[in-house]
Parts: sequence; C-alpha cells; structure tokens
Amino acid sequence: MEPDAQSVEVERMLEILRKTMPFQMVSDALLRRIAALGRQERYERGAVLYDQGDKAGDIYIVISGSVEHALEPGINARRPVQVLGAGDVFGWAALLEKYPHRLAKAVVMDVAVIVRINGDELLRLLEADPDAGDVVMSRFATMITRDYTVPDLIAQMRGIHRKMHSQDIQGMNLTLYRILQWIKSPRPYLMVIGIALFLGTWYLFVEVWKLPRFQEMPGLTVVLKEWLNPNPVYGLSLYTAEYYKHIGVSIWRVAQAFFLATALGVPLGLFLGWSRKFKEYVFPVFETLRPIPILAWVPLAIVMFIATESAVIYLTFLASFFATALNTMLGVESIEESYVRAAYCLGAKKWQVFRHVIVPGALPFIFTGLQISIGVAWFSLVAAEMVSGQYGLGYVINTSYTMVRYPTIIIGMITLGAVGYVTSAMVRILGDYLMQWRVRELALGGQ
Amino acid sequence: MATMTQNMSPAAKATRGAIKIDDVVKIYDPAGAAVMAVDHCSLDIAAGEICMIVGPSGCGKTTLLNAIAGFHEITSGRILLDGEVLCSTEKPKAEPGSDRIVVFQNGALLPWKTNLENVAFGPLMQGKLSRAEAHEKALSMMADAGLSGVEHNYPGEISSGMRRRVEIVRALMNDPKVLLLDEPYRALDSLTKSVMHEALLEIYYRNKVTIFFITHDLEEAIFLGHKVVIMTTRPCKPKKVLEVDIPHPRDYSVLTSKRFRELIEETNDAVHEEALKAFAAGEKEG
Repeated sequence: MEPDAQSVEVERMLEILRKTMPFQMVSDALLRRIAALGRQERYERGAVLYDQGDKAGDIYIVISGSVEHALEPGINARRPVQVLGAGDVFGWAALLEKYPHRLAKAVVMDVAVIVRINGDELLRLLEADPDAGDVVMSRFATMITRDYTVPDLIAQMRGIHRKMHSQDIQGMNLTLYRILQWIKSPRPYLMVIGIALFLGTWYLFVEVWKLPRFQEMPGLTVVLKEWLNPNPVYGLSLYTAEYYKHIGVSIWRVAQAFFLATALGVPLGLFLGWSRKFKEYVFPVFETLRPIPILAWVPLAIVMFIATESAVIYLTFLASFFATALNTMLGVESIEESYVRAAYCLGAKKWQVFRHVIVPGALPFIFTGLQISIGVAWFSLVAAEMVSGQYGLGYVINTSYTMVRYPTIIIGMITLGAVGYVTSAMVRILGDYLMQWRVRELALGGQ
Repeated sequence: MATMTQNMSPAAKATRGAIKIDDVVKIYDPAGAAVMAVDHCSLDIAAGEICMIVGPSGCGKTTLLNAIAGFHEITSGRILLDGEVLCSTEKPKAEPGSDRIVVFQNGALLPWKTNLENVAFGPLMQGKLSRAEAHEKALSMMADAGLSGVEHNYPGEISSGMRRRVEIVRALMNDPKVLLLDEPYRALDSLTKSVMHEALLEIYYRNKVTIFFITHDLEEAIFLGHKVVIMTTRPCKPKKVLEVDIPHPRDYSVLTSKRFRELIEETNDAVHEEALKAFAAGEKEG
C-alpha cells in the first residue's frame, strides 16, 4: 500500500468523477471541489478495506482492479456478494448519519486503485449547494434502494435533504424574508430619497419660491402643523377623534364593497373562463357595462338605493367587481391546456378538474385582480363619498373644499393614499400566503 | 454494481396494453381547407412493448397520440386497446382515462401541488385510495424511482429531469396499460437526457407497461425501443418499421455497440429523407 494522494492531480480525478454514477449530473465547479477531497490509493490483493461494523469514514470509487463486497447477513439485498470493478462506488454508509458503521466487508481481489472521499466532507460540500446536492443524494438513494433494503434508509435520506434545505423559506416567513431582502437592497434608500425630493419640491415651490400656480396651495409646513396640532385650526388632525372616525367609515365601506366584489366577481370570472357557452351569454353585457365610469352610475345609484350608505357601497363595489371578474376569467384562460388534459388522464371528473386545476391555476391572476380591485375600490369610494354620505375621507376632501379648509384637503388626500397602500399590501401578503408554490418559484427565479 | 438481472423480453410479463391502430385517417379542416394529418395509418403495438415513433417535427405524430389519449377526434378508422375499441369512425373521440396516461412534452405536473400531491393525484381523484394510502404508495414509488427528498417540494423547485421522472411516476401510480410520451426529453440537455433514458428503462423494467414514445431523435429511439416506427411527414403514416434486436435490459454501453451503429445506419436515410421533406414544406411544430 503506497498512498500517493497528494500526487493525483485534480483534473484526472475530475474525469473519473464525471463518469461515476451519482456525480454524472453535477456541475464542473462542484465536481472540482469534490475532486479536491479525493485521495487516490493503491491496494494489493487481499487487503481488507473495511469490515462489517467498522466505523464508516470514506466512500470509495474503484478506478481499476476489483473488490469483493460482501454484505452482513441481516441486510436484505438482491445480491449479497458482489464483485465491483472500475467505475463502481461503494461504502456509502459514510454518507448516512444514523448508520456510520459498515454493513459489509470489502476485500481487494485484484490489485486495485481506489479513490477515497471522506463522507462528512462530501456531505458538507453537498449541503453548501443544496440543488446539486439533491441530485447526488437522490442518485445515491436510487442506487442503494435498488440493491438493498436498509431499514429507515428513506427517512434518513429525507432527513439529510431537510438539513440541506434548512435555510429554505417556508410559510409566512416569506413575507419577513422579503422585507429583510428589501432592507438589505438599495431600494429603501432610493425610496427615502424619492420622498425627500417630492416633499422638498413641494416646500420650495409653494413656500420658498411661491411659484404662480402654487400660490393658493397649502404649503408643506402649514399642512404638517395642522396635522400634528392638538387643537387644529380647521378641526381635523391626528389628535381629533373625528379624523379616525372618517378613516374608520371609509375603511368599513371599502371592506364591504371589496368583500362583495370578491364574493361575486371570483365565481363569475371562474365560470366565464370555464364555460364557453356561459361566456357567450354574459360577456358582451359585461364588456358593455365595464367601461362605464363610476360617476356615470351616480344618478342611477341614488335612484336605486334610497339609503345613501347602500348607494355609496354600491358605487364602490362596481369597479372592483369588474376588475376581479375580468382578471379571474383571464386567469382561467391562462391555464395551460395540458394541466387540464393531464387531470382528465389521471381520472379526474369535471368538478374535480375545476376544484384542483381551474381554481388554483387561476389564483395568481385572481390575486392580481384583487389588488387592482382594492385600488379601484378606494378610487370609487372617493367619488361616491363626494356625492353622498356624511363621513369618510372623500367627504372630508369635498367639504373642506367648499368650506375653504385647504390644509385639511391635503391631510385627507395623504391619509387616503396611505390607507390605500396598506390595504393593497395586505392583499398581497394574503396572496403570498395562499400561493406558496408560486412564491417559491419566483424566489428561485431570483425575483 | 448497477446491473439489471431480470430477463426483459416484452412479451415475458405484460399481458395487457396491446394497441391496434387500424387505418386511421385524420383530416383537419381549418376554414374549409382540408389538411390531411394522418393518412390511413395502421400499426400494431404488442403488450409491454416500447414503441418509438420517429418523425420530423410537425409530421402529425402528436395527432396520433392525441387520438389514443382521447384529446382529439379521428376522421375515420379505429384504434383498439386490448381488443376494445377506443375510437372509431362511428365514435370519433376516445374517452380520456387512467389506462392510457400521457406524459406531456412540456411537463404537466400541477405547479400548485407538491410532488407528492401530484403523484398521489390519480388514485385520489378516482377514489381508489384514501389520502393516507395514496400518500404512502406515492412515497414508496418515488423512493423506488430515486426521488427521495423532493416529495414536499413543488415541481418548480426541482430540476426539469426530476420533474419528468415525477411525472412518469405519477402516471405509473395508476397502473396504466399504456404510457404515451410526447417528446418528454426534448427540452433537456443531452447529459440529463442520457441519465433520463436509463432512468426510464429502470422504471420500465420494474413496471411492465406498453410505451408509445414520440421523438425526433433516432438514437434515442433505437436505444430505448423494441420497435422503431419511422413516420412519413405530413400526412403521417408508417414509412419503415424497425424491430430492434438488441436485447433488453440495455444500458449505456449499447450506444457504442456495433449493432447499434448498424441500426442507425440502416434507418438514418429514411429519417433524413423525411426531415428534408418536412423542411422543404416549411412545416412548423405540430
């Protein structure tokens, strides 16, 4: 036995690994790192590489010569005794965590040249690159399960896999992960700069340079003073209960309208996309009504609903409903035909295809629709509240105009924007939560 | 150590899954201009046989597969599975069913279900197994196919080679008579492809099914198939049927064997001729 591990150049080892079963599909970069772990050694006939029960340290790749591999009696194998030749790999007990002892005896038959790789070091390499690691480990699992029945083997493999993916993102953590990524990226700082530029421009135009068009506008400092004033000049600030009542009323109206629009729009969209006949009946009417602006519905809404509250909710609901239904329909139409066909092939009935293919397949579009929907709900709300109602942010903006309370207009507008942004983000978070598959796909795509 | 010892002649084990394609014609009629896609095509595929259908892209071979699967109607003729009529001139469209499962060209694992849920899908939908039973069976079949560890991942998270394997296992969960593969390895790089071929054979040796495999890769066809059918380009019908006399089980050493090279030489001209015709006709994918 003359160990000459140091003298083996990585290149030759690389060639060997490329031809060896579990490593075939691994990238060259990783192979090179694996090759660096390899030590080539030469053994004379009769040398015992390891015996049953020995502690397992290395895995072995036969380069030349032959090795007899005899399994211990307890193991159920297709062929308990095998002769291994060039290109064969053995001794994978070194990769198992719970069985670090040898299950077989390996004896050199002809003078053999063998590459040894330390199991722990190899595992560590694979863990560092979970994607390639998966491939190697799953090849290993195939090879082992094809030849032996080792108790618990699958469970162990799974354990190793789980360890490799321990940094993976799961469940609601994803939102947190995104926020973390966002903070690490330059984007928040750009955002702060953007806001600062905007506010700075406002301040300069109105209060410093007093540009012609901006003379009548309330300035930044005036608005801030009013907003943060415990005794506001025009009656509305962060310290007045009235302010929160307006916000609350608006949110409640949007919530009702949004809920209605979703409850009616999603099923309508699903059926529009699912049934060609239904679409032929309904879609022309739908497409005629959809472009009509909310303000054009106002007179009709007032005639239809005597109570102003219902009229406001109805108007808020309309545009949301159209956005949700349309996007849902497009979502169904976007589903690949082969998914539907595959489901039928696998014996699914029509309603099962609807439940397991159509609905989940349309979900990404549905959530796009819901985000648009919540946005247009706020749009429409303001229009509706300007027409009728006694509370709400749209009402604040409108009455402040007629009562010449200019700073309050701006307070109402900014509040509206902020609340709208928050609700929209909530819809997105809910969507992430419900569509883990998609989120993980996008995360893998680096988006 | 990765030798396969079972004796694997196709007729040895399989007693079901014989397909008879009898004088099938398919005419597409877009806007009155009748286009003949399949022209009086007759073909017998024995139970448990791997039948490779080779033809240039767009030659109409997928049309044939769609007719067997029950996705499209035929214009005339008959297709029988184990003596039972799937479709005929009188009943032009077969019912899709779990006895004939398609593995799609671009893959059709449901991306919103985990690999395990995908594999368990068939028996669950058919009400054949409870959820626990289906999952148990799926886990063991996936382990057999070397897919341990990816059960709880979504299809989008694993490599495309693995996705194909999951899809084939999903099909085999239903104990089908026939697997219909529509250029399943087309999108894979050649290295992955070679691994997939061996994996497919491994799976085949374990589960005797008839395989109807569409490809335009002659080497792939001869390496995998018991029978290789070279199709004429549109309209599609068998031009040459080659019985591959290389014994199964096969592994990659076959690729460098003399017989393999001879068979390639024997068929290469026929394939090339059709490819030229297809090219001249300016056919697109079909």
